[in-house]
Amino acid sequence: MKRSTLYPIFLYPMLVALLLCTAPPLISAAKVGDAAPEFTGAASNGKTFHLADYRGKYVVLEWHNNGCPFVGKHYNSGNMQRLQKQWTGRGVVWFTILSSAPGKQGYVTASEENDYLAKMQAAPTAALLDPTGEIGHLYDAKTSPQMVVINPNAVVIYDGAIDDKPTTDLNDVPGATNYVSRALEQAMAGKQVETPATRPYGCSVKYGDSTH
Amino acid sequence: MLDGLCIKIKMQGRNPSSRFPRALTFGVALLLCAASAQAEGTPIPHGTLELIAENQWIAAGHKFDLGLHFQLEKGWHIYWVNPGDSGEPPRANWQLPAGLAAGAIEWPAPRRLASSSIVDFGYEEAVLLIVPISGETSMAPQQSARLGAEVKLLVCSHEMCIPGKAQLSLTLPIKSQPPAPDARTAALFTAARKSLPRPAPKNWRFSVADANDSFVLTANLGRQITQAIFFPLAESQIENAAPQKLQPVATGFRLTLRKSDQLLKPIERLQGVLMLSADQAYLVDAPLSKSGAVRSSSIIGIHPPQSLKEEPQQ
Repeated sequence: MKRSTLYPIFLYPMLVALLLCTAPPLISAAKVGDAAPEFTGAASNGKTFHLADYRGKYVVLEWHNNGCPFVGKHYNSGNMQRLQKQWTGRGVVWFTILSSAPGKQGYVTASEENDYLAKMQAAPTAALLDPTGEIGHLYDAKTSPQMVVINPNAVVIYDGAIDDKPTTDLNDVPGATNYVSRALEQAMAGKQVETPATRPYGCSVKYGDSTH
Repeated sequence: MLDGLCIKIKMQGRNPSSRFPRALTFGVALLLCAASAQAEGTPIPHGTLELIAENQWIAAGHKFDLGLHFQLEKGWHIYWVNPGDSGEPPRANWQLPAGLAAGAIEWPAPRRLASSSIVDFGYEEAVLLIVPISGETSMAPQQSARLGAEVKLLVCSHEMCIPGKAQLSLTLPIKSQPPAPDARTAALFTAARKSLPRPAPKNWRFSVADANDSFVLTANLGRQITQAIFFPLAESQIENAAPQKLQPVATGFRLTLRKSDQLLKPIERLQGVLMLSADQAYLVDAPLSKSGAVRSSSIIGIHPPQSLKEEPQQ
């Protein structure tokens, strides 16, 4: 079995994760309409970002795992990079969040993530490394690519899928309705977000423990 | 080709973890195919997929069933029509002779696949997805019909997912005499039909009450029920990962299902599959009893209920 050779690599971090894992967080995860939970994230570029610093701006959270084919659909088609450029160009803050635990699919070091961002010509404001899954659990992120939109008053206005085509097929990108762009456009126009929550399709977020 | 029943292999899966060059996989599969009188499966990520027929030939005027037979390595799964919190069900594009049409996949009752904080619905190890074929082919007896399907699928373990695509085909003779079952596939079709959800008996009664953050499914089956699992047909109605609290009552049970966080509009009905035991699955279509008069015309991601339809009794 080809995966058996991997066991020694990820067994240790899994044990550590088990030891570190205490009771589930008492604060329930954010839902649409709730205040966006505060977090501090260490970015792959070495900087530290506090969500609180971005009051007054729209913030997009994008859950990422470079080995997930649903994520691959949006990066290999250039769709995610296009969205990142389009919306950061309009003053939106875009955090790509990596909640894979060490040893699990999608876990990368800071320099590996920087190489990936350069290679893919990705343009988020920052890629936040969340190997403990702390930010992921705060937002109850279930899949990659799950997307969250936060308004300038720090309220969650969208939580769910990136678009309405829950597939891994690159051909499905052009005809899809993008929920993130729709939410941003509607909110910026002073309208209600028509579809504020959807099923966040994709791969499960590869958290380091199985109890949360 | 090598054998009338032999599946042609054209594996196009983007399999990043495969050690084998595609040409080698192709060669090995061809050898396997040639070595056996019976058709072998086409390789898919961590398993095989085979297009099989229930009957030995196509008989004029008779409907017939084909099957997509998935066999997966231990630890890998594919998905039900509602995949749950992640994943994607397999999809088939049929290439059939003029006059023939493929119906919707008949989905056996799925399993709950829990990992981390999510629950998916799907199949592990092996599953046969039956597809009914109807219509009349204009092809004359003595000819043979090539039946093809391009299947796109996602195979996942708890650690990773790999998309695949398989081009399958099967050649069946056309005869004027009534169809005869194929002994090699009969057991698979029989077992698959047993695992299909059946329409609930007419005297059973279901209702759903809206209880703030939950739906309570009340079932009156005329006897006490101590175990039941509900699989929702539509996405985003109930929280898949939440425990389903069963309360047995003298005439059936009450099952508390936590509402999905993504459910923002009232629903009119709760549709899905109710599993009482491994071989007792029933279709449930329960109206909301204490429902407001609000119409919800666009339930996100609902699948047509006919995709779960029961094979007609013969």
